[in-house]
Amino acid sequence: MFADGLFIMFAVLAVLGAVGLVLFRHPMNGAMSFVVTLISLAGLYALLSAKLIFALQLIVYAGAIMSLIVFIIMFLNIQPDDLPKEETKLLYVLGGGILVVPIGLFLVKIVKSLPEHSTAIMGGNFGGVKEVGLLLFRDWLIPFEIVSLLLLVSLVGAVILAGKRGTTK
Amino acid sequence: MMHCYLYLSIILFCLGIVGVVARRNVFTVFMSIELMLNAANLAFVTFARVHESMDGHVLAMMVMAVAAAEAALALAVVILLHKHKGKLDTNVFSLLKG
Repeated sequence: MFADGLFIMFAVLAVLGAVGLVLFRHPMNGAMSFVVTLISLAGLYALLSAKLIFALQLIVYAGAIMSLIVFIIMFLNIQPDDLPKEETKLLYVLGGGILVVPIGLFLVKIVKSLPEHSTAIMGGNFGGVKEVGLLLFRDWLIPFEIVSLLLLVSLVGAVILAGKRGTTK
Repeated sequence: MMHCYLYLSIILFCLGIVGVVARRNVFTVFMSIELMLNAANLAFVTFARVHESMDGHVLAMMVMAVAAAEAALALAVVILLHKHKGKLDTNVFSLLKG
């Protein structure tokens, strides 16, 4: 019963944060409301007994990635005049909503065809660091190494892209 | 209860699509893409709980790593474009248009 109340609270917060992200004009307001979404998603992961993913969501997503985005927004020093003028924003949001409704209804139909299942909190170290780590290094070793290669490539690419100092001009 | 989590995931994914389609600010478009990745993560973790296997958790970690790589590259590109044009409007960034 308590878990149901927590689920409803986190779900409402996540949806409100996402709506704020879509509707706020300044990207800084959008980023702050997106952080609310990320933190409530971390709470939902905890309700699904995913302990490691809960910690990673808070540390990596809400901590590292969002602080990187907020840092870049502040670095560019955006004034209200620099933002694109979106007078017809609500019209576009309405049109996008109409576009998305068939996709959403299709997905809802798929979910309805699945059998219902309880998601009560599981004991027995389900989703703990040791269990997920063992699985990661036994069954998912090659994808894990490929992800490390991807991170290296993106690091080198970001340094090359952002580190140009007037050599081409 | 499983259905509620999946419905929430669908709602967040659709909001992300609306953000990408309707907004013209580069940062908002970028964060809407991140929102879609998060909705997929929620579905992964829900199915991991339902099937009581932890492969979904590993996949969610991979998605987080891809999102971090994407953030680093996309923000470098945004800085470059801002240096070139001084704007944050996706309509201005049509350099490949013939």
